[in-house]
Parts: sequence; structure tokens; C-alpha cells
Amino acid sequence: MPVFRFCSFIAAFAIALSSCRQPEHATQQRDTLRDDYGMSITIGRPPQRIVSLNPATTEILFAIGAGPRLVGRSQYDVFPDSAKYVPSVGAALRPNIESVLATHPDLVVMYASQDNRQAVDRFREAGIQTVSFKNDSIEQFERDTRLLGRVTGDSARAFALVDSVMATLARVRAATANLPHPTVFIHAWDRPIIAIGGGSFLSQLLDIAGGRNIYADIPAPSAAVTLEDVVERNPDYVLASPISAPKMRASASWNAVPAIRAGKLLVYDTTLVGRPSVQLGAAAVSLAKLIHPGALR
Amino acid sequence: MSAARWLGLVIVLVAASLLAVAVGTVSIPIPALWNALRRVGDTMPIMVVWTLRIPRVALAILVGAGLGMSGAALQGTMRNPLAEPYLLGVSGGAAVGAVLGLALGLGVALLPLAAFAGAVIAVVIAFFVAHAAGARGDPRVLLMAGVVVGAFANAAIMVVMANAEPNTIRNALWWMMGSVGDATWGQIANLAGYVLLGGGALIVVGRQIDVLALGEDAAAGLGLDVDAAIRRVFLIASLLAAATVSAAGLVGFVGLVVPHLVRAAGVRKHRELLVGSAITGATLVVLADLLGRVLRPPGEMPLGAVTALIGVPFFLVKLRRLV
Amino acid sequence: MIEFDDVAVRYPRSTMSALGGVTLGAGRGLLTAIVGPNGSGKSTLVRALIGRIPLERGVIRVDGLATTGLSRAELARRVAVITQREELAFPLLVSEYVALGRFPHLGIWHAAEANDQRAIDASIDAAGVAALRERRIDALSGGEWQRVRLARALAQGGDVLVLDEPTTFLDIGHEMSVFELLHGLARTGKAVLLISHQLNLVARFADQLVLLHRGAVAAAGPPNSVMRAEILERVYEWPLVVSRDPAIGAPTLVPLRRR
Repeated sequence: MPVFRFCSFIAAFAIALSSCRQPEHATQQRDTLRDDYGMSITIGRPPQRIVSLNPATTEILFAIGAGPRLVGRSQYDVFPDSAKYVPSVGAALRPNIESVLATHPDLVVMYASQDNRQAVDRFREAGIQTVSFKNDSIEQFERDTRLLGRVTGDSARAFALVDSVMATLARVRAATANLPHPTVFIHAWDRPIIAIGGGSFLSQLLDIAGGRNIYADIPAPSAAVTLEDVVERNPDYVLASPISAPKMRASASWNAVPAIRAGKLLVYDTTLVGRPSVQLGAAAVSLAKLIHPGALR
Repeated sequence: MSAARWLGLVIVLVAASLLAVAVGTVSIPIPALWNALRRVGDTMPIMVVWTLRIPRVALAILVGAGLGMSGAALQGTMRNPLAEPYLLGVSGGAAVGAVLGLALGLGVALLPLAAFAGAVIAVVIAFFVAHAAGARGDPRVLLMAGVVVGAFANAAIMVVMANAEPNTIRNALWWMMGSVGDATWGQIANLAGYVLLGGGALIVVGRQIDVLALGEDAAAGLGLDVDAAIRRVFLIASLLAAATVSAAGLVGFVGLVVPHLVRAAGVRKHRELLVGSAITGATLVVLADLLGRVLRPPGEMPLGAVTALIGVPFFLVKLRRLV
Repeated sequence: MIEFDDVAVRYPRSTMSALGGVTLGAGRGLLTAIVGPNGSGKSTLVRALIGRIPLERGVIRVDGLATTGLSRAELARRVAVITQREELAFPLLVSEYVALGRFPHLGIWHAAEANDQRAIDASIDAAGVAALRERRIDALSGGEWQRVRLARALAQGGDVLVLDEPTTFLDIGHEMSVFELLHGLARTGKAVLLISHQLNLVARFADQLVLLHRGAVAAAGPPNSVMRAEILERVYEWPLVVSRDPAIGAPTLVPLRRR
């Protein structure tokens, strides 16, 4: 009799356990998580009409298979190519609330900056789920992608994407780990001169690719610097955009930087490395090829 | 003012300029500096001194001299201690020119030209508006026309910026904050021409400004064609200001503050006041640029911000003396 | 000397003429005073003289020459005008201020020479302000300031002096001393033309009075002939008497109170 009781108890327990592991989209269970504003996110029915106001998240949404469910994007979201077919609803920062509401979304994905707080409150007042991300670093890309996957019900693909990107990054880091790390100045803007600082994912990518950012000591993602400061820090390489590079090469004052005089001004693909998103792996590879040609095959 | 004081003024300018060439983010010890000036020795100090610092100092001297003289001439002519070089809508017009140029995709190389064109158009419109109002160069009407043009320019800037790309806005804002860091030797030579010719012209008519400073009726009684003289000074002073704006953006307070400093040293005749304002203005801008470069590493404070920060306490002191 | 010959002036956007054909003259060695009620056109005459307002009709002549034929500088060398008010935004020293009187001679091109300095010194002495040379003009009293202005006018070197209400803000003592000075200057050969609304004061010093009324000359001549009750009452539109006190030596206008 005790054996029977024990077996039925085990069976009951097993049945109870199995009912906990149902696929998500079939249950009405609610998990509560928080986004980068600290606002709670409820994971329930996967949203069917998504507006994404951020180039990185738009790209991620397409990559995890939520593309067909996008009904609106910001005017700056042009990756991947198919994103262009999603109607634009205007600005990404301080968005046009009415344009967004006109698409009748059930999820709005935004960039978690001060500027957008008001918009988020408005959307929530209108009963729309919002998720806001501050995607400035690789860690944030990881977390945001996984979270986004859970919200849209594409967890599996999201996790797979993250794993793939992180694997590529690890591969690049391993390939360059034992090489000498040259110092690099990443030029982002010209008037004023803006350098990429330590707080940017680009700085992290550079580190992975086997370089050292001369402005890694600045905690912000970017900072305005003077030419003389760049000369003082004397980087081994200068990375500049395809538009700026020829101007800098031809400029007498930029040639005060020894690296530019020595022809060590490298052009980096600003579109590829421009956002901490799906292409992070390829971005790291491209940077590594620039400063350590031949290290990767 | 005594010869010794004049000499002192020049010496201070020379010392400030040397200091500005010697000091910067890259520390260059004096022997290396001496070599660099003679283009001898290590390339890096030579490049820093000759392509980064000396052009800045040269431009700073010209901008300060131009603004100082423009302000001195306008204060005497308007008989108003608060007159300053941007009076006739010069700053507004230049800013519109620059912002429009940027919004329309003009390269940064053409920016000074766009700014200058904007400033000149603003001054011409101010004269035109005053003329249409029936005043024959009456400075009060000209002044009001200038204020109106300036206000309209500000509105135009807001319209352009509201519809512009963020990058355009960033470029425009940076330009408007003023900087002597972006000059090519071509621009410097251009500005030198304006400062020498314009400043020279103002010095030549300096005695007329002395007479205008007595008041229009008194000046007329002394045989001066008052309307023509006022128009002349306005035009030259505004062109001088426009030239500095096109090379260095908006640098406020210099034209306002410098003439007062020179007057405080006992200079009363306008020919001397103009020369003194040129030297003092140059010194002020050289030092302001130096401060801007070293106060907030690794970045720099915009020139317009530094001159404003210097100008405000100056005004508080002056106000206390008045009251 | 200075003559106004049928001078008419109309202000822009005005239907009435401010001056409707005024003819008067101020001769050398004489002190001529233009008097009249407010709005009679006295200051307009001065403005027309310095070219601040164009003539509708008529000619102004200095030493026989029409002012239209003279350059501004030439006119300023012959005629010195002292306007009602003058306020400098930036103070000068008295010596520097008087030196500006040489501007009609020097213009912007000529350097000051010995004779310019002599003229400045002589003017400062003639106006009696030698002791004030190194003072700043914003540190002068009202009377001192008027004398300094006079010195500047004298430094212009002309023989004609035109003054618009020279003693308005001065007290009795300063008023009298300025008028004594003007009278003395007239006696040295200058043609002194002054505008004043203080009839009694000018009657004591002027050789000639010109009474203006609504832009026209109502009476002209020596004070005794102009200051008659019937003429003055018509012009000033107020009951008055003209008394002649021997101690004063000149006619005095006394307005009566209405009962």
C-alpha cells in the first residue's frame, strides 16, 4: 500500500511538473521583468503589431523572426533591407505619439533615454505595452536581445542569435589575444572632434579585435576632444569614416598626428560597426582585419 | 596715454601670444619649443607649434583686433556704452547664412563664405529698412532696423533647425559657439586683409567719431556731414564684425568690453582708442582661446563661452561703479 | 555777418510752415537776439543754419556768401553754433573738448599745428575757463560747462557765433556772467546771434531784437522799439506792461495776473 501511495504521489508530481513546462504561447502565465527604465514588462500573448523606434532593435526583431509583425519603425531604421518596407513613423527620440498610435500597436520598443520618458508614459496610458532598451554595450545587446525575444515570443531564435554573435566575438578575441595591442583613436565627428570613449560598445569591439582605445579612460560613450589632445595621446592608428578620412589625410592640422603622417589612417565601415546589434560579430571581424591583417582567416 | 603704457600694452600682447604658443595639451619644454619655432628638430613639436597653435593665435589676434575696433567705433558713434559689433543684425545674419549653408549640404570649407554673405545681407537689409522708413541714416532708426533684422534672423534659424538633421544641428551649434581652431591660412590672410583695411579706415575717420561723440547737432555745427559719417562707420564696423564671424563664428563680449578697458586706462581720442582696442582685443581673445584649450581636457570650451564668462563679471564691476 | 533772406522751412509731414519767409540779419560787433513764444520758429532757424533741415525757400548768407555755396567745413569755420543741449557719453578733458573746435580746420587729414594750439589757448582765455583746462567735463558746473562750450565755439575761429538758449539751466549769477561775456565778444567784432525766450535778460544786452511770431518776424529793431506793450501782448497773447526803470537801463516786460 505505501508503494502504491508513493507511485501515485510520484505520478501526480510528474503530471504537475509537466504542466509547468508548457510552451509559452499557450499559457496565460505572467512573468514580470524590468526594462532599462526600470518599468515592468509583462510577458503574455506575443504582440502582433510591433513598432520599433531604434535601428538596433529593428534589426534584432527582423533577425529573430518578428519582422513580419512590425507595423512601424523610426526613420533611421534602415537595416536590414527589408526594414525599408515597414512604414516610418518619424523620429526615434521624442517620437510623434500620434503617428505611432495611428498604427494601432500592441508593443512599442524604444531607446531608453531621458528624451523618451514622456513618450513611454503616454503609450502606457494608452494601454500599449512598451519596452525600452539602452543598447550601448555588448552586454546590453545580449540582455536586450534575450528580453526582446521573450516579449515577442521568439525566445529560441533570440537566444540562438545571441549565442552566435558571442561565439564570433570570442573567436576574434582568441585570435588576437596574443598579439601586441596597438593604441587606436576612433574618430566619430569633426566639428567638434568627437572621439569614441570607453563607455561605447565600439570601444569594447576594439578591445575584442585586439586594439586599445586611447580614450578608454573616458566613461562616456563619446566625448569632444581637441586635436592637440589626440597628438598628445599619440595613437598607433586612427580609424575614421570613409567621408572624413580623405579630408583628414589632406588637412595640415590633422597631419600633426604622427599616425596620420605615417599613413596609419584606416577607414572603418561606419554602417557595419555603427550599432550594437545583429552585426556585432561581423563588426569585430572587420576591425580585427584592419588592425591585425592576417590574424583571422 | 603715455608711451610707456602703450609699450606695455604691446608687450602684454606679445607675451600672451608667446604663452599661447608655448602652452597646450602637448607639453613642449622651452628648449624644444625654441627648436620647434625655428623648424629644427623633432617633427611632432614642429607640427604642433606650426599647424595647431600658431594659426590659432594668429586668428585670435585678428578676431580680437577686429571686434575691439568695431566695438570702439560703434560705441563712440552711437554715443552708447552698450553698443557692440553685432548691432546691425550681423550675428543673426551670419548665423542664418551658416545654418542654411549647413542645412543645404554646403561643405565646411564654404561655411565662412556663407556666414559672411548672410551678415552682409543682414546689414544691407537693415540699411534698406531704415531708408524705407524715411530716415536718412538716422542712427536710431538704423539701430531699430538692425534689431528687427536680428530678431527675424533668429526666427529663421529656429525654422531651419527644427527641420534639420541632428548632424546639421550639431554642426551649426558648434559653429555658433565660436572657435579659432578651424582656420586655414587662407582664411587668416583674408581676415587680415579685412582687419587692416577696415581698421585702417576706421582709424582714418577716427576724428569724425570724436566729433560724432559730441552729439549730432554739435557734430553738424562743426562741419561734419553727420548722416554720411554715421553710415560710413556703421558699414565699416559691421563689415569688420562680419569678417570675424565668418572666420571664427560668434564671439561675444569682446567688442563690448574691450573699449571700456582701454577708456579706463585714460584713452579718450578715438584714433588712440581704436588702436588700443585692437591690441587689447587681440590679447583678450588669445588668452580666452588659451583658457578654453586648457580648462577642460581632453575637450575645449568654446571661445564664445569663455569670452562670455569673462564678460559677465566685468559687467557686474562696471555696474557697481555706475551705481 | 549772417543774414537770413526770406527763409522758409517746412518740417516733413507738416501742413504748416515752421518758418514762413523770415528775413533778419546779425551784424559784426553787435549782439542780436531772436525772441518769441514757444513754437515761433526760433530753434528751427538754428537747425536750418546747420543743415539739419532743408530750406523750402530763401537763402542764408554768411559774410555775403550763400551757405549753399559753402562746404560744411567752410561754413563751420565761419559760423560757430552752440545748440541747446549737449551731453557726452564719454567724458573728455576741457582742453581736449575745446580742441575739437579746430575740426573744421583740420578735418581728418591735417595734423594740428602751432596756430591751432594758439587758437585753442586764446579761446580758453577769452571764455575765462583757463583754470578748468585739466578738468573732466562731467565734473563741471552748469555755468562752467556753458563757458567751456563757448570756448570750443570760439576755437572754430569764425566771426559769427550762434547760440540757442545759452542760459536756460543757469542761475542768475551765471546767466549774467555768460551774457556779459557774450556782450564783450560782440564788442571785439564778432556777430553774436542768440536765441532766447528770456526777453528781459536779452533786452539788457542786445543791440538788436528780432521778435518772431508763428514763423514770421513780428518786429525788429533796438529793444526799446520792439518792446512795446501792444506788440508784445499781441505776440504773447497775455496781458502785460512794459516798464522802464532807469536803474536797469532797459525796458522790462512784466506779465499781469488775470483777475
